Formats: sequence, structure tokens, C-alpha cells
Amino acid sequence: MVEGHVTISNLEKVYESGDERTKAIDDLSLEVPSGEFLSVVGPSGCGKSTLLYLVAGFLEESTGTIAVDEQPIEGPGTDRGVVFQDYALFPWRTVMGNVTYGLEQDGVPKEQRRATAQEFIDMMDLDGFEDKYPKELSGGMKQRVALARTLAYDPKILLMDEPFGALDQPLRELLQDHLLEIWRDVEKTVMFITHDVEEAVYLSERVMIMTRHPGTKKTTIEIDVDRTQDREDIIMSDAYTETKNQVWQSLREETQPEAQL
Amino acid sequence: MDVSNKLAVDRSDAINVGKSIYSLVIVLVLWEIVTQLGMVHYYFLPPLSDIIVRFYEMTLDGTLVHHGYLTVRRALVGLVIACVFGILVGVLSARNRVASWFWDPIIEVGYPVPVIALVPVFLFWFGTGDLAKIILVAIGCFWPVAINVRNATRDVDENLIWSARMMGTSDRQLLRKVIVPASAPGIISGIQIALPISLIITFVFEMVAGGGGLGHIEIQGVRSFDSVQVYATLIAIMILGFILDRALRLIRFRILSWT
Repeated sequence: MVEGHVTISNLEKVYESGDERTKAIDDLSLEVPSGEFLSVVGPSGCGKSTLLYLVAGFLEESTGTIAVDEQPIEGPGTDRGVVFQDYALFPWRTVMGNVTYGLEQDGVPKEQRRATAQEFIDMMDLDGFEDKYPKELSGGMKQRVALARTLAYDPKILLMDEPFGALDQPLRELLQDHLLEIWRDVEKTVMFITHDVEEAVYLSERVMIMTRHPGTKKTTIEIDVDRTQDREDIIMSDAYTETKNQVWQSLREETQPEAQL
Repeated sequence: MDVSNKLAVDRSDAINVGKSIYSLVIVLVLWEIVTQLGMVHYYFLPPLSDIIVRFYEMTLDGTLVHHGYLTVRRALVGLVIACVFGILVGVLSARNRVASWFWDPIIEVGYPVPVIALVPVFLFWFGTGDLAKIILVAIGCFWPVAINVRNATRDVDENLIWSARMMGTSDRQLLRKVIVPASAPGIISGIQIALPISLIITFVFEMVAGGGGLGHIEIQGVRSFDSVQVYATLIAIMILGFILDRALRLIRFRILSWT
């Protein structure tokens, strides 16, 4: 059974305001097989967040199609879960209230949804904070709540928009490893937007590099790293370093176009 | 940790009130001295002690209680009506294109109009009774409520709406589950702004049209050259305004404990 397979074909997104037409995404086609961890890197303003929000169904494509398991998407759906950079937690709900929201919408009975939510709260090391409001939490904790909230209603596809971008280095590394652990357990397809080449190569099985504005797929690079190793060993490995340089080089051509002339 | 924090806040609040009260005390003492020495004509400014005695008498014989009740009832009934319509119109014009097309210009024009100017018109239309006063209060309070509610509901973070949508929230549920709670601080701010407006309109209308109420007995004091009654009434309205404002703040604190 194939689940969470994303097919993007000839996608184009044009923003129109008055007479002005801005092309954000230009003829992009991409397959994300079920269960793959794909990162998307690109120069800033290349439309990588736009791409993510199109897949999420928040924005509407101008031409082309996006399909999940061969079904064209129609707006947002519970088969896809987004993790936002600014967390987007409901500030009037406690940690528990945030994590149970999706289950509540799904009609899961109260006892059961609390039990399920507790599972993910524990998984994120948030036990003891169930009754806190988001304003009482640090950025790293908020992002863990956001991750728990999205995982709790069990979407097939995780769409992550620079989720760790606002966190400091040690915290970011901690959450990266956490995410990898979870990804191995839950078998979800992940599309991970980042501007950080090291993060992309460390986390994912494949990286898509986007061209500068208007963004489209430049190339994708497979990452062949033995992930059974510890972080130190991965970082020190030749495979990691080589791929990282390759991705960096490719991205560099987009951010420094004059260097090619 | 939280409890001790709350205590600390409470204590510093008490200190702040204590500090700010010194200046008030100085002014009141100066008032008493200046008037007792006969430096100001009794009619302009009677001694504070006389006013307090009169305030006490008028409270005991029920005058202030009765008229205070009339004033507060008019103000609050008008305010509640304004909140119902203001919240309705504010939410609608933020979320619905037709409602926005219709209401936005009306709100922009209506908001800065000094509603007091309508008192004479209302005397024509509705006479001098409670109805005229309540309707005018409702109209005057409608604008700040509507405009604050509209802005708050319009500015709800799009990511919150998207979050709700991705978790299966339908368009119908969106209002109740996300938009109203997210804009609750703005809605309550609108009501807080409208509260003193409701008192002002009631008071002025009572002064002009009579029919009982604190405004009425204050102007009665002026007409019978009884300045002590004027000031005693003034104290009553100040106390009422202060209590109502504090009550609203308490409600805000209760509802918005998450902010």
C-alpha cells in the first residue's frame, strides 16, 4: 500500500495584485515517494515556502496539479500536517488543549484523545507542562508542542517550514535528532523547508535545490549516509561532507549568479 | 513558582496604588485648607468636609442610591445592546465581503461623530424618557465596539486559521473555535473603551432632559445654587465609574488569563 506519496506536476503559482503579476513558482515537477524525507533548499525568496503552502492546500495553484496518492488535493486536509516556523499554536489553549485539537475535530472521545495526546506530549519530553499556556513556554518547547500537535492527528505527510530556524544551535540539533527518531518510528513522508544546507543534508534522504526567483526545481541530490551512526560520526564522514559541498556548490550558483559569468 | 510570582505582582500593585495616592491626598488637603480659610468663595468650591458630609447624608436617605441606580441601569443596558450589535457587525464586516462593503464606510464616518450632538434630535424623536437615553448610549457605544471587534477579527494571524483548517476545522466552526477566541482581547478592549462613553452619554442626557439619575440631580444642584450637592453627586459618579471599570478589568483578567 502506497501512502503519503506526493506528485507535483508542472506546478505554477502567480501572485496577482492589481496589474502586477509575480511568478513565484515556475513549472515545477517533483515526486516525493511515500515515507521519504525530502528537504528543500533555495535562495531566499525563491518560493520554497510558497511551494509548501501549495502542497498544504492553503494557497491555490495557478496551473499544474498537486496530488497525494494520485488524488488531486482540494484545499487543506488532515492527510497533511504543517509545522510552522512561528509555531502557530492556539494561545488560548493549554499544551493539552493544543495537542488534542485535531483529535477533537475528528470526533475522538475525550478520554481517548487525552490518552493519545499524552503519548505525544511524553514523546516530546513535555510531561508536566500539559496545563501551561503557550506564552509560558520557551521557543523550543513551543515548537515541540507544535510537532506533538501535528503528529497527534496522524497525517500521512509532514510539511515543515523552517521549523527550527528560530532556535539556537544546540536546541536545533536536539530537535533535529528528535525528529529523525520520530520519523523512523512513524513512517511518514516529510517535506522539510530550510535555508540551512547542513540541516538539509543531515536530516534528509534527498535534497531538492531550487533556482532563484521564480523558483523551480534545479536538481535533486540523493544523500547516501549511514544513519545508524551517531551525529559526530555522520558529520565527520566523507559521504556527508561531500554531499554537503555538492549541495552548497549548487546553491551557491543560484545565490551568486554573477560568479558564473 | 507561579503563585509566588502572582503574589509579587499583587504586592507591587498595592505599592503603586499607595504611591499614586500621596499626590491625591496632598491635593485634597490643600482643597480643605484653602476653602476653610475662605480664600475661595463657598459657592465655587465648598470645603471637602462639607461635601463628604452631604455625600453621606444623600447616601443614607437613598437619594444617591436611587439616582445612581437609574444612571447605571441606562448606561449598562445601552452598553449591552451596543456590544451585541457591535460584535455582530464587527465580526461580519471583517469576515464577509458584502458586509465589509456596506459597513466599513459607515463605521469610518460614524466612529468620530460626537454622539452627544444627537441629544436634541433624540429629544424630538423619543422624548425625555429612558428609551431615548438607552438608544443614544447604544449608538454611542456601538462604534468603538464595532471598530475594535472588526480590527481584531480581521487581524487574526493567518497561520492560526491555517492550523485549524489543516486539522479539519470547517468554515462554520472556524468562527467559534478560532476567530472569536483569537480576537477576544480586541473585543474586550472595545467594551472597555465603550464603558466610560456609556456613562458620559447617560450623564449628559440626564442633565439636559432630566428624568432622574445622577446627571439630573447634579444640574438640580446648580439650578438651586447648592454647590455642595453638585460636588457630592460628582463624587458618586466618580465612584461608580471607578467600580465599573475595575469590574470590567477583573472580567478581562479572568477570561484572558492566557494572554
